[in-house]
Amino acid sequence: MAFLARNLVALTRQARLLDNLTHSMRCLSVTPQFCQQPKLELPTTADLQEVSKEEQKECQKIFDKVNQQLAKKEEGRLFAVVHLCGKQFKITPGDIILVEGYWPPTIGDEIRLEKVMLAGAKDFTLIGAPLLEPGLVDVKATIIEKTLTHTKTHFKKKRRKQYLRINFQRSPNTMIRINSIEVKQQVDKPSPSPINENRIF
Amino acid sequence: MSNSHLFLKSCFPRAPLNNGIGRYVCQLQRVTLKFCKNNGSSKGMREFIENNLVDFAKENPGVVVYVKPRRHRTPVLVGEYLNGGREWLNCRNSTKEDILKWIELLKTQNGPSSTMRLRKMWHTDVPSIQGAWTPFMLRSPEMNLVTFPSEEYSTPLDIEQSATEKLLELYKEEKQT
Repeated sequence: MAFLARNLVALTRQARLLDNLTHSMRCLSVTPQFCQQPKLELPTTADLQEVSKEEQKECQKIFDKVNQQLAKKEEGRLFAVVHLCGKQFKITPGDIILVEGYWPPTIGDEIRLEKVMLAGAKDFTLIGAPLLEPGLVDVKATIIEKTLTHTKTHFKKKRRKQYLRINFQRSPNTMIRINSIEVKQQVDKPSPSPINENRIF
Repeated sequence: MSNSHLFLKSCFPRAPLNNGIGRYVCQLQRVTLKFCKNNGSSKGMREFIENNLVDFAKENPGVVVYVKPRRHRTPVLVGEYLNGGREWLNCRNSTKEDILKWIELLKTQNGPSSTMRLRKMWHTDVPSIQGAWTPFMLRSPEMNLVTFPSEEYSTPLDIEQSATEKLLELYKEEKQT
């Protein structure tokens, strides 16, 4: 995660790169050669266009590679970072995550987690800004348990004020099993129709 | 949270029998309701049995429901689970609605939950897919030839020009023109 964040920072530092990014699409694999240089040297304005063309070519090459891998199903195990109930979870198929507090879905419900912020495999990473294109990555999950936490004690005391309270509370917990993570489309072509029409974000 | 919970048994989130990977299986196998036919403390339980219990049993065909009248005893709700766990609940003086909520809780959980403190909100069998991060990850190979400490690499990448430097630059420019 940390190196991805670092790469993202490196990307944002290079203004011309960011521009290029926004033109092409919102997500990008972040292991190209030109991202790996630790020092930034600004090119003169004359060869800036050439450089940007080269970069675009390089980007396209990476997109093609990723798409090829996805088409051949050689990408292996995928992971994703999803935003769920105000928290971010790094998940991969077979994981168990827990949502704290009241949450309506009940046991046996099969849901799709749609706020995908990042998805990746061994060789590539798709980074959303902040979310990936709707319908690009499909994360499916099942609710397996709804229960209460252990009894938590809330002990309050004020000295010399004859004030002492002991409260006990148990809050609801929901356990979710991640079933599958799949990349549904080609990486550089955002789809005309999303999976879920009712998506609001 | 007070420290008393440090002595509570702790565990990590797990699901019994890989539940939910293929399909979901309800873990509750048996519910036993014990109550008294006369006593006032069983009033809610008796009402629950009259009004809601048949619906509950119809909605959950996988759960066996036992109803046991026990003379002069407090009403009790006991759930038994697929992994052998057993949860015992006292329902003295609780209302019909309360008992409905508790029985729903018994149905939705995987085993007795009150005795365990969870240490993590996440469980995975594959902690890393791209490999664990190291400081040398995605560095350019020229870093291999640098001898540390080096002036070049120990300065931050984004040092902004200070006001003094800016003024000096302006001064130099003016001098040139």
